Amino acid sequence: MNNTRKFSLIVLVIGAFVIAACGGSAEAAEDGAMDSSEVTYVDGIPQYGCLGTAEDAIVDLECREVTFAVENAYLPFNYIEAETGLAGGWDYEVFPMICELLHCTPVFEETVWETMIQQVQEGQFDMAGDGITINEERDENGDFSIGYVNTVMRLLVNVGEDRFTSIEEFVANPDLIMGTQINTTNYETAIQYLPEERVQAFDTFPFANAALVAGDVDAVIMDEVVGLGYQGENADVLQLIGDPITSDELGFYFPEGSDLVDPVNQALQVLMENGTLNELNMKYMGPSFALTYDDVE
Amino acid sequence: MEKPERTITDIRKNEFPWWLVIIGVIIAVTLLLIINTPSFNDAFATMRVGILTTISITLIAYSISLVVGLIVGLGRVSSNVVAKNLSTFYIELVRGIPMLVLIFFIALVVIPAGINGVGILGEWLVDVGITNIGQALENVNIRMVSMSFRAIVALSITYGAFSAEIYRAGIQSVPAGQMEAARSQGMSYGQAMRHVILPQAIRNVLPAIGNDFIAMLKDSSLVSVLAVRDVTHLARLYAGGSFKFTEAYTTLAVLYLSMTILLSLLVKVIERKISTNDK
Repeated sequence: MNNTRKFSLIVLVIGAFVIAACGGSAEAAEDGAMDSSEVTYVDGIPQYGCLGTAEDAIVDLECREVTFAVENAYLPFNYIEAETGLAGGWDYEVFPMICELLHCTPVFEETVWETMIQQVQEGQFDMAGDGITINEERDENGDFSIGYVNTVMRLLVNVGEDRFTSIEEFVANPDLIMGTQINTTNYETAIQYLPEERVQAFDTFPFANAALVAGDVDAVIMDEVVGLGYQGENADVLQLIGDPITSDELGFYFPEGSDLVDPVNQALQVLMENGTLNELNMKYMGPSFALTYDDVE
Repeated sequence: MEKPERTITDIRKNEFPWWLVIIGVIIAVTLLLIINTPSFNDAFATMRVGILTTISITLIAYSISLVVGLIVGLGRVSSNVVAKNLSTFYIELVRGIPMLVLIFFIALVVIPAGINGVGILGEWLVDVGITNIGQALENVNIRMVSMSFRAIVALSITYGAFSAEIYRAGIQSVPAGQMEAARSQGMSYGQAMRHVILPQAIRNVLPAIGNDFIAMLKDSSLVSVLAVRDVTHLARLYAGGSFKFTEAYTTLAVLYLSMTILLSLLVKVIERKISTNDK
């Protein structure tokens, strides 16, 4: 093969890679376009236009774009379904509903959990979902909405776990290692009970769960609503055990002094009063939530 | 008499390591901050426990990679078809995968599979009748292989490939006449390698080996994704819990800078000693 042919072959191969990468997202976009409400998907994230109308809005935000931070790795709030490659979850249903009531344009932005709170405080996002626990420390440099769901922390363990049934028994056995996600209130609680050497903080919960299934950690401490998501139909592999460890409210997070807090609170009130919020909480955090760890990426 | 184009003062100004002075100032300022500001002090206090972990992981992994690299490097230059191909395969494979991906791959795929394999081997041994070893192998569980161990394995494998290439370059930089002379003296290939070629080769590439050690010190920060409590992971935990990202990451960056500067100065000193020895 002479040099020109070799060169052309290499260019063709690289071209094939590029087309394969582009082709993937194009397919996902087409899947989403079948939805009756005008939702298109880019890279699996739904894109919306301005929702709601000025007349019906409880507070008119005049089609303002509101950026909403998600992690896409936190069942049941935001995740990517493996089969379709499309994003789904509680956040993805509630936030468009809120914009419907406020006449705004929802814009979902993916980021990592570890820096999300800091990024909101700096104003990089207008608000963040992702099931953030309301606490004083975070409230110092940011603002929370009213709580939209109450949650407790529990332990996710392998099915058939018989060495412990509660956090106290876990603490008593020095061989046991706890897993969790870095920069969470789950981690803060874990180190209140255990010395730091017995707590392994991973980047994401799926990573911690992988460690649990592999046997690297013996339990993962997480919010119950999240644990129910991972337990789901995977009842033959993982289960939630133990009494509630703490009790907290989850809320949306905003930069300090944001003018969106009040409108969003009003929207949440409406959703609470008409039963929609309860429906959604049951759908995603109740016993019938059937999405499993294998179904998401 | 002509005026020299450059005076002594010019040369001194030109060669004076101003870059080191600037870095020294940065380190000094950060030190002052650590001593005087509570938030920086907290950040450093949380992190310094991890310094030992970082250094020990680097030392252990690098020592292993030097040994691995020597074996693979020798394979690379040998005329034996099997050795040459295996070594080249290993080097190309490892150089083709980014370090972070390799760490995940080894920690989450290779080692758990290996543990399973060992367990299956143990079962088979028990079935066949060799119970004591079989039982021991069966009892091997994944907890015996800590994340630190897996991280060290990943780092050693990666840098083993880099070291192999360095050794190869070193061996090939020794004049061919040396090998011919050694063989004509009656030495076997192995003896020639051991007594004549390798000592010269290694002396030639000591700077590269030193630089690779410094590179591994920086790459060791990746073990943080396995929740290994090195200095980077502790900085992340501190930043996450306190929201003091500036203090945490400034201190972390300066900490790594101090370690690498110290090491590279050490490498320079060793280099100078080696070259004066040659004279």
